Amino acid sequence: MNRSKWITVILAPAALISVSTWAHEPSEHMKTGEKADCSAMHDMDHSKMDMNDPVMQAMMQKCMHQNHGEAKGGEKQNAEHSGNGRPPSNAKADEHSHNH
Amino acid sequence: MSLTPLKAYLAGVASVAALLLVGSATFVLSGWYPMGADEHHHPLTYKLITVLRERSIERAASDIVVPKDLDSPDRLLAGGADYNDMCASCHLKPGKNESDFSQGLYPSPPNLTQISMAPNAMEKADQRRFWIIKHGIKASGMPAWGPTHDDERIWNMVAFLQRLPELSQQQYQILTARGE
Repeated sequence: MNRSKWITVILAPAALISVSTWAHEPSEHMKTGEKADCSAMHDMDHSKMDMNDPVMQAMMQKCMHQNHGEAKGGEKQNAEHSGNGRPPSNAKADEHSHNH
Repeated sequence: MSLTPLKAYLAGVASVAALLLVGSATFVLSGWYPMGADEHHHPLTYKLITVLRERSIERAASDIVVPKDLDSPDRLLAGGADYNDMCASCHLKPGKNESDFSQGLYPSPPNLTQISMAPNAMEKADQRRFWIIKHGIKASGMPAWGPTHDDERIWNMVAFLQRLPELSQQQYQILTARGE
């Protein structure tokens, strides 16, 4: 096989692989993507909110999920700061209170 | 030698057809047609292309079955994030009336934050939007997302488009944010 054929054999699959990585994967953006500004929800007039509206439900879902993620991240950070890798004492108390 | 009336008529038609063919080929090959997006079509040409496009999409989309759960919060969240990444630069978002793309593309992409549908026209609008997102539109700047996005993901975007015109900037930001 001459040199140009070798180049074709190597480059064609490489090009195909690179094309497949162009596909737009949501998971690629999770860590770098902009976070929801849930503080805006606190400023909204809750009496006028329709909790059956899918838009409202989606916003609640997004902000609850984000707050939950931040709380978990905070716990992890506190554990790291305490130096022993265990969750902080208040987290432990919460854990116990669920058992009662 | 004299031609019969029928033969004379046919010869005349053939001559006109040949002339049109040669004329069209000359025009196409000459490069005289202005191809720049900043030089707009004649209004009649634009109207013809618009009718051609709309009739074609209407026919092709008429058999598409619209899912019953387009108003689910999960679809809004998934579709919102994709809309923001893939569509907002051309079709805009609440609080934004123009962008480089919306000004530079020809035909100009519709501002989807301002197009709301009457409930009785919703099904046709959903079919049409799904088809356009999946297949794109030739020579318009609208890409076909079908080769890289499955149908469910496209329906999520259709679901988001239903509610987009009524969203405030804050609601849009929360629904489209992808970060965790």
